[in-house]
Amino acid sequence: MIEVRNLTKKYGDRVAVDHISFSVNRGEILGFLGQNGAGKTTTMKILTCFMSATEGSASVAGFDVFENPLEVKKRIGYLPETPPLYPEFLVSEYLAFIADLRNIPKRDQKKKIDAVVERCYLGDVRNRLIANLSKGYRQRVGIAQALIHDPEVLILDEPTVGLDPKQVTEARGLIKSLRSERTVIYSTHILSEVAATCDRIVIIDRGKIVAQEALNSMGSAGGTTRTEIVVQKMNENMVQVLKGLQGVKNVHSQANGQNRLIVESEAREDVMAEIARTVVNQNAGLIRMSPVQLALEDYYLNLIGGRSAQQ
Amino acid sequence: MSGVRAIVKKELRSYFYSPVAYVIIGLFLFAMGVIFAKFVDIYQRYNAMQRFGQAQGITLDKLAMYLYQNMAFILCFVTPFLTMKLFAEEKRQQTLELLFTAPLKGGELVIGKFLASYALMLIMVVISFVYVLFMILWGNPEMPIIGTTYLGLLLALSCYISLGALISAMTSSQAIAAIWTFIALLMLWLMQSIGQGITWSLGPLQLGPLLTYLSPPGHFNSFAEGLIQVKDVVYFVSFTAFMLFLTHRVVESNRWR
Repeated sequence: MIEVRNLTKKYGDRVAVDHISFSVNRGEILGFLGQNGAGKTTTMKILTCFMSATEGSASVAGFDVFENPLEVKKRIGYLPETPPLYPEFLVSEYLAFIADLRNIPKRDQKKKIDAVVERCYLGDVRNRLIANLSKGYRQRVGIAQALIHDPEVLILDEPTVGLDPKQVTEARGLIKSLRSERTVIYSTHILSEVAATCDRIVIIDRGKIVAQEALNSMGSAGGTTRTEIVVQKMNENMVQVLKGLQGVKNVHSQANGQNRLIVESEAREDVMAEIARTVVNQNAGLIRMSPVQLALEDYYLNLIGGRSAQQ
Repeated sequence: MSGVRAIVKKELRSYFYSPVAYVIIGLFLFAMGVIFAKFVDIYQRYNAMQRFGQAQGITLDKLAMYLYQNMAFILCFVTPFLTMKLFAEEKRQQTLELLFTAPLKGGELVIGKFLASYALMLIMVVISFVYVLFMILWGNPEMPIIGTTYLGLLLALSCYISLGALISAMTSSQAIAAIWTFIALLMLWLMQSIGQGITWSLGPLQLGPLLTYLSPPGHFNSFAEGLIQVKDVVYFVSFTAFMLFLTHRVVESNRWR
């Protein structure tokens, strides 16, 4: 649905986006992750035809962003970082203007406006001045604006920034409800949000893509699984014995708490069973043995943190 | 075309939702009222004197010409307040992104904004027909001349608004847009008299007449005298078209930075 190839954007000498390539399939929710200033917004601005690129190409729904911007714009709904609102308008008037702008025929307008008002829970504020709305409602009006013309592709730039926890949950629910009927690109620097909503992530750092993969494949990279073992009393040769087992790749003794070990091994049941048997045979008093999910947080910090450590 | 309509509708709505439109129309009518009262006063006195055969050469038409010349000048003060928000406010509110990611062409946006300001100005021009009505009731004005004068006003207005739109597109502050538009329009008007004082020339290029030509009042005056000349129409139309073209370029350039 969305294809980005070697996209580069320079602001003067500063490279904001550096030869990035990725693609998004129809019906997928893609989390676009990165620190502030990593190039997320720039990429989105290029995809929505607001900005030109220095190099590379991008296409949305088969239309090239630079050759055929009008066709692309018709198919995209876009929520910029700051919701683009006119404070002097009522919510209903604002949405009517967007409907005009989006060329929605007069006879369909009411229906479409009603639909987004309901979908974004705007019923209560429909006849209120945008200037008087709270941040959360403004954000929702912004999302409603992006949805009004039933776009195939939805591009949301940090849609949950500044919302309170309840509103964040609602916004996530809203985005999740779009799954499968629309393709969504969604930028954020909040990790739990990605874990909660997205099918796939692209992590961008300093204009470069440092990782992109499906969310559920992380943690068990390369068929390796990590197991945490907690015992009552650690004995000295435990680490050696475990290292000697077949299928075990590495054993780390944790610094925090002497009675903890992390065992890296092949992800096979017989290996797991063997580890358990060994620990019990050592008479150390097994308290807990649990698989370690490589958390998104660790994964992300590994990628980003690796860089700052090098500096 | 539907893009233009959407923009015009939105702009007009936002004009009337803020006090600006009302205040500006009010001030304009007040200023015009004062001038018209003065005009009536002068006209009455000369009429009275004429009856005793003392004064000559002051006719209703001549006074009407002064009235409309004043109006054309006063509109210079009004324009900046109407054009200041056109693009500056969109930039400040970051709504330009909305307009440019909608299926709307840059040209449609510029034309839409221009027409919306023009429509508001038309309201003022229409209200000023009151003075024509008074003249008809108590005098005998030359209607064709009034007609050409109004044509001249409409043309002059389009050139003011296009200049204001251009300046608004160059800043994100309404106040700065208003001040610069005002200065630019004032300079444009003054170029007429400045040009007349300059005898200096650069080879075949005579600076004085050039300045005078570029200034609107000379062109407007021939309309006010009842003349429709191709050169004046060309001046106003090309001025407007060129300003709108530049506006379009400037607005588009926001996306290339």
